[in-house]
Amino acid sequence: MELLITMVANLLATDGALLGAGIAALTGLGAGIGMGIATGKAVEATARQPEAVGKIRTMLLLGLAFAETTAIYGLLVSILLIFVS
Amino acid sequence: MSNLSNGLLAVDFSGLADKIFPHHVIEKGWFVINDSVLSGFIVVAVILIIALILRLTIIRHWKTTPTGGQMFLEWLVCFFDKSADEMTEEYSGLMGPYTLGAATYICCGVLIEMFGLRPAIADLGACVALALCTFIFIHTLGFAKKKVRRLPHYLNPINIVTDLAVPVSMTFRLFGSILSGMVIMDMIYILVEGIWYIGLPLILPAVLTPLFTLFHAFIQSYVFASLTLTFVQEAIEMPPPKPKRPKRSKKGQLAAEQKTV
Repeated sequence: MELLITMVANLLATDGALLGAGIAALTGLGAGIGMGIATGKAVEATARQPEAVGKIRTMLLLGLAFAETTAIYGLLVSILLIFVS
Repeated sequence: MSNLSNGLLAVDFSGLADKIFPHHVIEKGWFVINDSVLSGFIVVAVILIIALILRLTIIRHWKTTPTGGQMFLEWLVCFFDKSADEMTEEYSGLMGPYTLGAATYICCGVLIEMFGLRPAIADLGACVALALCTFIFIHTLGFAKKKVRRLPHYLNPINIVTDLAVPVSMTFRLFGSILSGMVIMDMIYILVEGIWYIGLPLILPAVLTPLFTLFHAFIQSYVFASLTLTFVQEAIEMPPPKPKRPKRSKKGQLAAEQKTV
């Protein structure tokens, strides 16, 4: 029992941060889905109304920036987990 | 972990850790200067010198039929002035130059990475400074435009949380994307060093630098400028005037009914 506890503690102390970094990188999943939907909708809108392409591009970039933020948070967290000890 | 990667690729990633966080160049008690701040000073000096050169060459010989340089300058200034004009009507004289300045600083601060220095924006302090400027602009302009009618905005606690989240999210968006671009490029340099025998070091960085440095520089400066304008527009937006209902007394109603009859 004591051995098991030390093993788990060792695992959490050494490899737990790396596992956490891997889990934090999963934020890319949501951001990817969101950005894909946004881009697809923008393409649809442009196909429907090609003369509004300037406005659509502006809005798309803003939306992409917002969606990208979550992925960047995940990346920051995983970088901090790996390199700050 | 390093053993495995050493065995597979002869790549040593252990040097990456001390490239991520800025080094302290000068450290005297509370007075600390890191290498990001130094490259920030260099960027500011370069921007000032370029501005002086442009002022003495192109702007002194301003023509009615523009050529090359003048056309580029006009396009750049008009782009920011026009978008500021569209979003923040009477404050465009303030917001246009501010967004142009912030975008220039971000863009040049990231592009200095291509000369081998640490990008000036890859430091939390620079991002916080820019985000706080935007934060102050949002609230002062909101008060300047709406005066007392701005106060009910602060009574709602949800609004306060949203307002406080704005500078935090702007800071981390800027910092995270620039830092990630820098880390990825550093990783590619290390990787390429390890597999030099294929001849990749000549091609791969040249292909990937535009993607992770140039692209990020322009996109992030544009996003920062347009987000600032959007938030300011939101703050100075006047509520639509309530449609005045014509007073209907009973007499008038009766008279109207009689008229129609």
